[in-house]
Amino acid sequence: MSEITLSGLEKRYGDTLAVEDVSVTIDDGELLCLLGPSGSGKSTTLRMLAGLETPTDGEIHIGDEDVTDRPAYERTTATVFQDWALFPHKTVLENVAFGLKMQGTGKDERRERAKEMLERVRMGEYADDDPMNLSGGQKQRVALARALAVNPDVLLLDEPLSNLDKRLSEDMQIELREIHEELEETFVHVTHDQDEAFTLADRIGIMADGSLVQVGEPNEVYENPKNRFIEAFLGDTNFVAGEVERTTAESVHVETELGREVVLPRTGDADDADALTEGESVALSLRPEVLSIEPADAATSDGESDRTQPVRTDGDTTNAVVGTVENVLYRGSTIRYSVAVEDTSVFVERTVADSGAFDAGDEIRISWDGADVLAFRDDGSRVDL
Amino acid sequence: MSGTHSSSALPAPIARLWESLRERSRSKRALLLMAPLLVFELLLFVAPFLILLRISLTDGSQDLRYAPGTWSISGYGEVFTTDVLLNAITYSIKLGLLATAITVVIATFYAYAIWRSEGLVKSALLFSVILPLLTTLVIKTYAFMPLLSPNGTLNDVLLSLNLISEPIQFVPGTVGVVVGQVYIVLPYAVLAIYSVLATMDWGIVEAARDLGASRPRSVLEVVVPQAMPGIIVATVISFAWSVGAYAAPGLLGDGQNKARAFALVVEEQLLTNLQWEVATAYAVVMLLLMVVSIVLLTATLNYFGGEFEYA
Repeated sequence: MSEITLSGLEKRYGDTLAVEDVSVTIDDGELLCLLGPSGSGKSTTLRMLAGLETPTDGEIHIGDEDVTDRPAYERTTATVFQDWALFPHKTVLENVAFGLKMQGTGKDERRERAKEMLERVRMGEYADDDPMNLSGGQKQRVALARALAVNPDVLLLDEPLSNLDKRLSEDMQIELREIHEELEETFVHVTHDQDEAFTLADRIGIMADGSLVQVGEPNEVYENPKNRFIEAFLGDTNFVAGEVERTTAESVHVETELGREVVLPRTGDADDADALTEGESVALSLRPEVLSIEPADAATSDGESDRTQPVRTDGDTTNAVVGTVENVLYRGSTIRYSVAVEDTSVFVERTVADSGAFDAGDEIRISWDGADVLAFRDDGSRVDL
Repeated sequence: MSGTHSSSALPAPIARLWESLRERSRSKRALLLMAPLLVFELLLFVAPFLILLRISLTDGSQDLRYAPGTWSISGYGEVFTTDVLLNAITYSIKLGLLATAITVVIATFYAYAIWRSEGLVKSALLFSVILPLLTTLVIKTYAFMPLLSPNGTLNDVLLSLNLISEPIQFVPGTVGVVVGQVYIVLPYAVLAIYSVLATMDWGIVEAARDLGASRPRSVLEVVVPQAMPGIIVATVISFAWSVGAYAAPGLLGDGQNKARAFALVVEEQLLTNLQWEVATAYAVVMLLLMVVSIVLLTATLNYFGGEFEYA
């Protein structure tokens, strides 16, 4: 049983608050990713879990035991460090056997088990090598084998893939996922790379400025972010400033810097207290994947005279604007267009396979369903529509 | 890992040095770059030693400090026929081992403390190790007289605390010599070990603790093997200096016949008895003994350093 409970965890360095009131329960066998920009306190949180930092407040329970004040060497956690921290004066095998040696396992047995672990990470043939002569990816595997060799209740991974190149990192993500499924141990994985977090995690915990902002399954935090920070941090998006013009039972009408009104449908279950007041300023998030684009003349050819105000029937929440392509950015599999709309600019994306590429100067029509738009208040909190 | 072929009969460090020299000498460019150093060594180290060796082989029967041009082994005769040599060797080696052991242990802890400390504390610790280096050897050694003598500060404190009933004579005496010698070599030993520790990643100590190594165990398993090159240098410096010590035994020792350091015997022959061939013979014998013991010491330490590598 290795369910982990963090309650009110805090770490203070002098006047700096590195981690503030982090509370979360990590289920037995779960893979939780702590995701956040550098300095968000995710590594400090992990180090407190490992026992390498002492919390200034709060408690850590692993299973039924309170381990808050227990030193690292008396915890059933094992860590894979960002820079791997392999012992330079020991061979690869000795590195992997180290934890077992500390546990008092006999020499033959620990060598055998270390060999097994090395085989598992496909490093068996390097057993007698000096770890300093290995490549980054190989060191990573040895560090993983070393941590797994002690059969920990909880495996802690502190940005272990951030020093690897993209391709290698992606391969390792898949391998980590496989190892996790095989061992059914609790993993806590710290990363600043959202792709990595989305690939690996059962649940993602997003950290910002020392706080755990939101914990949830990957699609949940992506589609239903708690605040503007998460919306901005996960993926790319356009924030469009606006002002609430009027609200009805079915929809919210926002006058935006796009030069036109954007209609957001109300889902109906919103609390009255949460309702927006007229004149309140909001930021709308238009993710490139919800924006569809087409040549502007295609829209005007069907008789539309005011091209920024398409005909809309009742209940239709389709919105559209027309803008001019400012620049074109090739990003490999996708093309990103930066489009000037009124006083602001938004970017949209197309996959290279899509037909009809645009050039700078082209007029294009951008349309989206208002239901796909998220709105945030000035204080960053999400508007519950 | 050591002693691959022909050099396997030699002690490991010598074999390694020999290998690296052979490798280096393959390149003429390297030899050329080494030339200034070689000339320097020849002029200031090898040449004087040859002169010393020559003087030790002169005839001492004439009433001269030494007789140029004569050949004799009478100097060595006197060295090996009296018990002065044996007493001096015994005393100097004992002093060397004792001072070295104390120095290296203190230096290791001290260097570790510097390494682990931060900010002002680190600066203060480093500063207090460097400060004695800026003071003249004689003055800092002599400073132990008022501190350790029977009516000195330490005895006053011990007496006033009723820990002792009568003053203890630390100085002049062997306790004073050891204390003085440790004080002289400690800064060098600390710096030698600290310079190695400074390049070490604290992360590997954390990794060791994370894998279940207690604090002392993690230091023993991870820090000490890593710091071994520095510890070896510190040991060799301390030992060589302490065995050949002159200032501390001279100023703080009681000069009794059996408690006389080697350097003092040489001094007596050189300046009091004016028997240069005997003095230089002592010096030559001493030098050979030193070389042998340092090689043995280094080999031993390397062996124990290597012990830690086995999982």
